[in-house]
Amino acid sequence: MSAPQDRTATANLTYDELAGLKADRELVLLIGPAHPGSGHMKIKVWMDGDIIQRVDPDIGFVHRTTEKLSENRLYIKAIPIVERVMLPDTINANLAYVIALERLLGIEPTPRAQYLRTLTSEINRITSHLYGIGLYGIFLGSSTVYMWAFADREPLIDLIEEISGARITYSYIIPGGVRWDLPAGFKERAETVLQYMEARLKDYGKIWVRNPVVMDRTEGVGVVSKSDAIRLGITGPNLRASGVDYDTRRAKPYAAYPNLDFEVPTFSEGDCYARLLQRVEEIEQSIRIIRQVLKDIPDGRIISDDIYSKMNPLQKRMYEMKHRVMFPAYMASMRPAAGRSTASVEAGRGEIFFYLVSNGDKVPFRFRWVTPSFLNLPFFTHVMVGQHLADLPAIYGSSDYFPPEADR
Amino acid sequence: MIQILSLLMSVSLVSFIEYILPPILYIIVFPGLIVVLLMLFFMIWLERKVAAKTQLRFGPLYVSKRFGGVIQTVADLIRFSFQEFIIPAGADVFAYIQAPGLLMAFGLLPLIFIPVGPYYANIFPANYSLLIVVPLIIITPIYVILLGWASDNKFSFVGSMREAFLVISYEIPLILSILSMILLYGSVNAINGVSFQIGRGIPGIVLNPIAAFLFLVVMIRTTGRFPFEISEAESEVVMGPYTEYSALFFGIGMSLPYIELYSFSLLFSVLFLGGWWPIVPSAAAASGVVGGLLLPGLVVFIKALIVMAFLVFLRAVYPRYRIDQAITVGWDQAVYLGFAAVALSMALVWSGLV
Amino acid sequence: MTGRKNNRIKGHVDALATGFKYLAEPNRMTLNYPDESMNLKDNYRGFFAVKDKTCIGCSLCEIVCPPKAISMLDLTDAGGKKKKRPMIDWGLCIFCYFCVDICPTDAFQTSQVHDKAFYSETEYQTVHGEPMQYPYDYSKRPDYKEIYESFHDVAPDDPSAGSKKVVPKFDKKRGIKYEHPGQP
Repeated sequence: MSAPQDRTATANLTYDELAGLKADRELVLLIGPAHPGSGHMKIKVWMDGDIIQRVDPDIGFVHRTTEKLSENRLYIKAIPIVERVMLPDTINANLAYVIALERLLGIEPTPRAQYLRTLTSEINRITSHLYGIGLYGIFLGSSTVYMWAFADREPLIDLIEEISGARITYSYIIPGGVRWDLPAGFKERAETVLQYMEARLKDYGKIWVRNPVVMDRTEGVGVVSKSDAIRLGITGPNLRASGVDYDTRRAKPYAAYPNLDFEVPTFSEGDCYARLLQRVEEIEQSIRIIRQVLKDIPDGRIISDDIYSKMNPLQKRMYEMKHRVMFPAYMASMRPAAGRSTASVEAGRGEIFFYLVSNGDKVPFRFRWVTPSFLNLPFFTHVMVGQHLADLPAIYGSSDYFPPEADR
Repeated sequence: MIQILSLLMSVSLVSFIEYILPPILYIIVFPGLIVVLLMLFFMIWLERKVAAKTQLRFGPLYVSKRFGGVIQTVADLIRFSFQEFIIPAGADVFAYIQAPGLLMAFGLLPLIFIPVGPYYANIFPANYSLLIVVPLIIITPIYVILLGWASDNKFSFVGSMREAFLVISYEIPLILSILSMILLYGSVNAINGVSFQIGRGIPGIVLNPIAAFLFLVVMIRTTGRFPFEISEAESEVVMGPYTEYSALFFGIGMSLPYIELYSFSLLFSVLFLGGWWPIVPSAAAASGVVGGLLLPGLVVFIKALIVMAFLVFLRAVYPRYRIDQAITVGWDQAVYLGFAAVALSMALVWSGLV
Repeated sequence: MTGRKNNRIKGHVDALATGFKYLAEPNRMTLNYPDESMNLKDNYRGFFAVKDKTCIGCSLCEIVCPPKAISMLDLTDAGGKKKKRPMIDWGLCIFCYFCVDICPTDAFQTSQVHDKAFYSETEYQTVHGEPMQYPYDYSKRPDYKEIYESFHDVAPDDPSAGSKKVVPKFDKKRGIKYEHPGQP
């Protein structure tokens, strides 16, 4: 790891001049944005032999001004937008925004809606972690685990599709509750999928997690110590893999999590293998939570009385017939009282933090997004220095970094 | 005059069948070019199909659907041949064009020296076959370095350096592994090795399993199969030495590991799997083309095919090692294993057990 | 399944055995799409169109549409009466169904159809489920049953034309099984 004074000494130099200083030894590699191992970002790497001297992740290739876009629209129209930056993780993004909006509006969702939110959120967390594990597979060269993880997302996505009618961009959670109730026979089908998932996790363990080659590649690589993890401000599974017991689901409970019994797994090692195990353990915990939710889910409305009372008689009749929430016209004309609210949600990659300011208008005055992938970015530069070039994809993949989420 | 001419013709026909046809068969048909091409088509398809089956999908299917997409690779070859061949602006044009050709030539050359039947001794001097095969197999990284250097691409360069490092680090285990079998068979002639195995009725893999395992590991490494697919690691160095190549030249780079795999597998089945056993041609049959070359050759080929199928299956199981880990294994554990294999052979020979 | 202590040889054997297990008993999840296509779930959010008799022209769908895929047209029916009807641009639609849900009269005819091919943008701007024609001939509008059938008509150019319909079923051992509804 290069000393801090080195960096200040060369601070005024451009990258090219800096590279020229040690031109005879140093190799500058531009990994990305069109490199199979980079994702939608460019990682500039200075190498001495096979050892990485300095890393400069260059982000912003998929910046889509979504934060500003969401500030120029009706409150309800921001729901599809927040989903679109976190495609593996849409329910959690949707949930975070709706919680912030509900706090502005002063609406409290019904208990059944809370459980449904938790249910879809946990299914979504499994698909999100499978996405991360699968991509980690392709980073380390195992196409099998990549294909497996993406195939196994399919039954889980189908489960939410049964509820919400869409596969990725659910737009399922609305202020006051959720849009659709569980279809008939959902519990049995969900249990089938969960049993399948549990059986498959054993095979994942054999071919991937406990594969000696994987352990060789990941153990002791990219170690983030507990204090570094806190200092760098990383979040989510990456933080917990470094031994910090922080989970928004427990620290700032939302939805039905206060009523549920679940563990927050942590690992003390902080290396790539710990981050991999962390995701596997969290999948197991999510399965446990889904079982509890399906067992304990209370009966009742899925939309709060505030919204229900605003529906017209036909829409109320539709709700009683089909358990499907029609929007009252209020949804298109929400004007929260002037004020500000925040919401934190534990998404697949870490804590989503939304800050919503209203000045009483039809559109938000300010809608600030803090997305977990962006918070996880600093630790690349921190841990990649001093590692081999081949460890770059190992560390990058282990962080489950999702560029569109960071760039917004 | 007519008599002389007919005499000449009959003599030349006999000599053609006896002396000219077998080498042509050997080089052009089996184990040479035609079978290499067919093997390439089949093996690349098999690799994709086997990986797909393990990965919950179908693999190549839509080209010749009835046969499971088996001519997909032919379609790929046609596509490669109609692609534009791009030469990068900074490339050393001469080296850039000649390197794949040389690589291909040196990839194919070892095939001439691997006996696939007892008749081989009649057409090529087989006395030093093992001594010739080994250097021919390990000479290819020179051209890989040339390839990477000529491409004027950092990823090509890193990839070719990786390839060179790795092949060098696995040379000693390879030589030790073959040396232990040479000690055991008492000859550098592979035909003698096969007759030794047939004579004792024990294949080499049972006689010296350490050497066989070591040879297998070196084979995985040299042919770039997983978990040693390091020089072409996609997520690290794009396509390694072949990054800048396109069209047919890329096809050469892609198919070269399979050709190496083929020659290694033939050598493996000759050295360790009893060669053409259970076919034991009589002395009369051994001097004929069918009994001495084609039937034993078929057996060796089938054995090699099974070995290749196992090695391409590894893609579905393993990710890749890091380069320093692979090199450490090559210089450290593999060398010890090599010495152990040699010691085992010496012990077997001295104790008179075989 | 966690824990760091691991026997290397057992690890290799386990990994190889698992690979062989799936090679011997492949659990294929691929849907061979152009040959087979899925019957989507009952509440799948597919193409939809407004039922002319139920629509009251209130414009709420236009207001709530997040990508602004809906624009209200001023149409004149045979009696010379002015009517506002939504034109849906399928190039913009994100199938969030906000419009369907906010409709105070539940005037949208929905379907589970998702794969349709369009040749031009004039073709995917639809009113009453049919490509918008300028000027619009109000008398030729289809009724909602025709609209619903037109969604399920598979045009010869559609990607799913000629495909076998399959139904996905959850399975404890295989995750998802695709069953042909026609077969027992």
